[in-house]
Amino acid sequence: MDLRVHIGGGKRGLVLANPVLTASGCFGNGIEFLRVFDIQRLGGIVSKGITLRPRLGNPQPRIVETPAGMINSIGLQNVGVDAVLRELAPIWATWSVPVIANIAAERVEDYAELARRLDEAPGVSALELNISCPNVENGLEFGSRPEPAAAVVQAVRQATGLPVIVKLTPTAGDVVAVAAAVVEAGADALTIANTFPALSIDIQRRRPALGWGSGGLSGPAIRPIVLKMVYDVARAGLGVPIIGCGGIATWQDAVEYLMAGASAVQVGTATFFNPRAPLEVLEGLQEFLRQEGIEELRELVGAAVSAGQAKKVYSGAEG
Amino acid sequence: MTAERLQLQRAVVLSQEEVCRDTFLMWLSCPALVRGAAPGRFLMLRCSDGLDPLLPRPMSYHRFRDRDGERQFAILYDVRGRGTLWLSRRRPGDEVLAFGPLGRGLQVRPDARNLLLVAGGLGIAGLVALADEAVAQGRSVTLLAGARTAVRLLPPSFLPPEVEVVYATDDGSRGHHGPVTALLPEYLDWADQVFACGPAAMFAAMAETLRARASRRPVQVLMEERMGCGTGICYGCAVFPRRGGVRLVCKDGPRFDLRDLF
Ligand SMILES: Cc1cc2nc3c(=O)[nH]c(=O)nc-3n(C[C@H](O)[C@H](O)[C@H](O)COP(=O)(O)OP(=O)(O)OC[C@H]3O[C@@H](n4cnc5c(N)ncnc54)[C@H](O)[C@@H]3O)c2cc1C
Ligand SMILES: Cc1cc2nc3c(=O)[nH]c(=O)nc-3n(C[C@H](O)[C@H](O)[C@H](O)COP(=O)(O)O)c2cc1C
Ligand code: FES
Repeated sequence: MDLRVHIGGGKRGLVLANPVLTASGCFGNGIEFLRVFDIQRLGGIVSKGITLRPRLGNPQPRIVETPAGMINSIGLQNVGVDAVLRELAPIWATWSVPVIANIAAERVEDYAELARRLDEAPGVSALELNISCPNVENGLEFGSRPEPAAAVVQAVRQATGLPVIVKLTPTAGDVVAVAAAVVEAGADALTIANTFPALSIDIQRRRPALGWGSGGLSGPAIRPIVLKMVYDVARAGLGVPIIGCGGIATWQDAVEYLMAGASAVQVGTATFFNPRAPLEVLEGLQEFLRQEGIEELRELVGAAVSAGQAKKVYSGAEG
Repeated sequence: MTAERLQLQRAVVLSQEEVCRDTFLMWLSCPALVRGAAPGRFLMLRCSDGLDPLLPRPMSYHRFRDRDGERQFAILYDVRGRGTLWLSRRRPGDEVLAFGPLGRGLQVRPDARNLLLVAGGLGIAGLVALADEAVAQGRSVTLLAGARTAVRLLPPSFLPPEVEVVYATDDGSRGHHGPVTALLPEYLDWADQVFACGPAAMFAAMAETLRARASRRPVQVLMEERMGCGTGICYGCAVFPRRGGVRLVCKDGPRFDLRDLF
């Protein structure tokens, strides 16, 4: 059975052994789970968001639960790129599972600088650009419109030969337009999507429930909305793989994303309530493919996209 | 923790008892969840049959016992919100999903003879297993237990009989009238080691008392913070040490040295 996923081409192109990855900020830096399960079986591990300087993150409370979901405002707590290069990358380099470094910044130059620093690091197989973090000042700014998003990608593209994955925000007014712009600017793949800006109020204390104020919504609650974004971008046929991310907790959820046009998936919040969720998604997917007699993962990718299009001819738009 | 150990386990509810108003004692059976469990460590309990409520709830190991050829464990919890309400409705024979043991437990020095335990409210949940263990090892244990009012205090029958218990209530309905930390100076010199669990305000008051008396007694506290994962991967449970930096309650704690945080 061929489960491989290709991201980027050429000498430094990345080949994932299978389509199940962990989502940034939802798996620490991988090291935490070395003794929990065999993480080498995963298709890839995405690091916690990395910034130029270390960040302590936001004040408490950082997490509030909502119906079938949660809002977080961690605030990109991370050790900073220097410590990543010194302490984490050498460990990642000893793993067979590829690690994708997720990076975030407030200025275009800083994205480029991060990319330059990580470019030759052994243990870093690709970059994922977080142009969509709701938990830092100006975090959403780049990802919300096509031009600034493309500017970040262009600068990073020039700074590195690593495959560049761009993580889109669901707040983009026109997700397809942002997707097209970053692909045009040189993105090798798209992760769809980051969390949704969201708010919860502590009614006893008459103030936002999170210390930072608002945060990002994740978990099963967002799954159908993100799925539609993946579907819309897939239908635009931009020619790069899509990594679906939003509310995936079971293999059935992953199959939905694949059929909607994703080539791979990331498991995020689900790992919080089931530590083995990423592995169970992978095992369930493999079993499903076996039962369906599918030899190559590619046969499944986008299976529902053409069907949806056909229907649209006579049923019109949604609603 | 050995490989392939941390995963959702099915724990069987053995008993469920309301020990005082809205406080429940639940005994559970699940060999995988007691292996490696120790006083001060905790587990994450799923509090629904599906995805809502979504996140597992952290609970301390409250007590252990050997019965019916296996080691069993108890949790002691307050009904606070949706998750613990769901938990309180489980009946003997029901199953709950959980993973653990997690975190770093309390550490008694081998030569410590006199242990002082300080519990604010349901903080007592995380200290009784330590009292059980210490008493069995022949150490002397005194527990200072504080609560808002007398009905919120855990009855003495739920503690090992060898433990000396001193009560304090905010409204004076039982024991000392005032905060439990006011009792601290009286027992501090006697104690070789102090262990505390309760709200942050209690820890702050304890630190104040220790500083005022220039006491160098070692004090370990069990911290609570909102948790997403309990396994060190979400960074939700951050605490900020006095000397700077950031620590995770689930991974670096929940046991901390009082003076590092307050
Ligand atoms: C290490 C640790 C050990 C604990 N041990 C015990 C124990 O032995 N007995 C006990 O009664 N309680 C204990 N708690 C607190 C307990 O986890 C919360 O009371 C419980 O999660 C509340 O859930 P709920 O659904 O009833 O309340 P809700 O208000 O519905 O909870 C909503 C969300 O807030 C979180 N939350 C609310 N209060 C707390 C809190 N104080 N700490 C952490 N998360 C919170 C919940 O986990 C949940 O995600 C412990 C907490 C920690 C961190
Ligand atoms: C606690 C938490 C921390 C996160 N941190 C990051 C981060 O540092 N960088 C990033 O790009 N996305 C971050 N995310 C977003 C996730 O990677 C993912 O896009 C989102 O949670 C949706 O997927 P899910 O519903 O499966 O969790 C974080 C999400 C959560 C819940
Ligand atoms: S609860 Fe997730 S890191 Fe501690």
